Amino acid sequence: MKRVLLESVLVAALGVLIAFGANALSPHGLKLGRDYFPGDNRPPIALTNPATNTAAAAPQAHSAADHLREKGLNPVDSEKAEQLFRDPGFEQNQIIFIDARNDEHYQEGHIPGAFQLDRFHPENYLGEVLPACMGARQVVVYCNGGECEDSEFAALLLRDSAHIPADKLLVYAGGIADWKTRGLPVETGARRSGQLSAPKK
Amino acid sequence: MALSARSLSALDTATVVARWFLGALFIYMGLMKARDPVEFLKLVRQYEMVHQPFLLNSIAAALPWFEVFCGVLLLAGIAVRGAALMLIAMLIPFTLLVLKRALAIASAQSLAFCAVKFNCGCGTGEVLICRKLVENAGLTLLATWLLAGRGRQWSARYSLLRDRRTAEVSPPPEVPVPASKP
Repeated sequence: MKRVLLESVLVAALGVLIAFGANALSPHGLKLGRDYFPGDNRPPIALTNPATNTAAAAPQAHSAADHLREKGLNPVDSEKAEQLFRDPGFEQNQIIFIDARNDEHYQEGHIPGAFQLDRFHPENYLGEVLPACMGARQVVVYCNGGECEDSEFAALLLRDSAHIPADKLLVYAGGIADWKTRGLPVETGARRSGQLSAPKK
Repeated sequence: MALSARSLSALDTATVVARWFLGALFIYMGLMKARDPVEFLKLVRQYEMVHQPFLLNSIAAALPWFEVFCGVLLLAGIAVRGAALMLIAMLIPFTLLVLKRALAIASAQSLAFCAVKFNCGCGTGEVLICRKLVENAGLTLLATWLLAGRGRQWSARYSLLRDRRTAEVSPPPEVPVPASKP
């Protein structure tokens, strides 16, 4: 038994070394020293059962808005988001949308003209996003909606690390799910790809 | 006697197949997590095991590859008992965490326990909790069976630390003796 224990210690030590090495070499690897959830004081999320629960959606949306306000962020509802999208300032990049999801989700469908800022790999996107934010008067950040927190953390990243003024940052808590539910146009592929689709309401 | 030897051999073969199954399963589940570590990080965070970012990131970054490593060891038959013990050391606490979370969801949603379905971060997407618990119990039993010293055949190096004393006194391989004619 002693030998088995010693062997397991060897396995553990070698395994941990290899695991951290693989993470460091992986293009999707995590940065160990980075705080991916800054100011994380949210109560336990996802105590929901997506397979069965739909009735709790409205109270959840309400608490999400309250939660954003507590963090000093400005939530916007779907009507306001659509209004900003239709504003003439949108075409002049005075109002911009930022999609805080990863490549796969962004390519599958985003708000037309939205910039991408995968907050887990911001170094890949800030070069394009920051000048756009600087030149805009309003910046709307969104993600999937529902329990998704990426828009919140992306907004915090822009406010606290990139020093984008808080008053121009808006968080669309309903996200792309809500946008599609309203039958608003969605762009697939790259930004300004021209591939638009309008989901059915 | 011949029948007993055949049964033993069948049992050992079945155990080797079980070892390969366990190894392949852990490689698969580890790779599923490793291909999207961000998603795994979010799921690990929901368990509220640790709040320190470095520790949270380390768990999410290393655990999937560690599972792959242990799976490869089992598949190749290297340090089998050490790897099996590591699997047990991962399976038991994570099963308890999954159970705790499922109880919290059931309570918050006023659901029957077995109706709880969620992504536990196990590498297989959303699962029904009762099924997951049964699966994990089965995997733990398999790993315990390997820890007991079964499944030695077709091993590249069953034990990293060879016991010299056992090696010296171990009997020679069995040679089939032809049945004597009356």
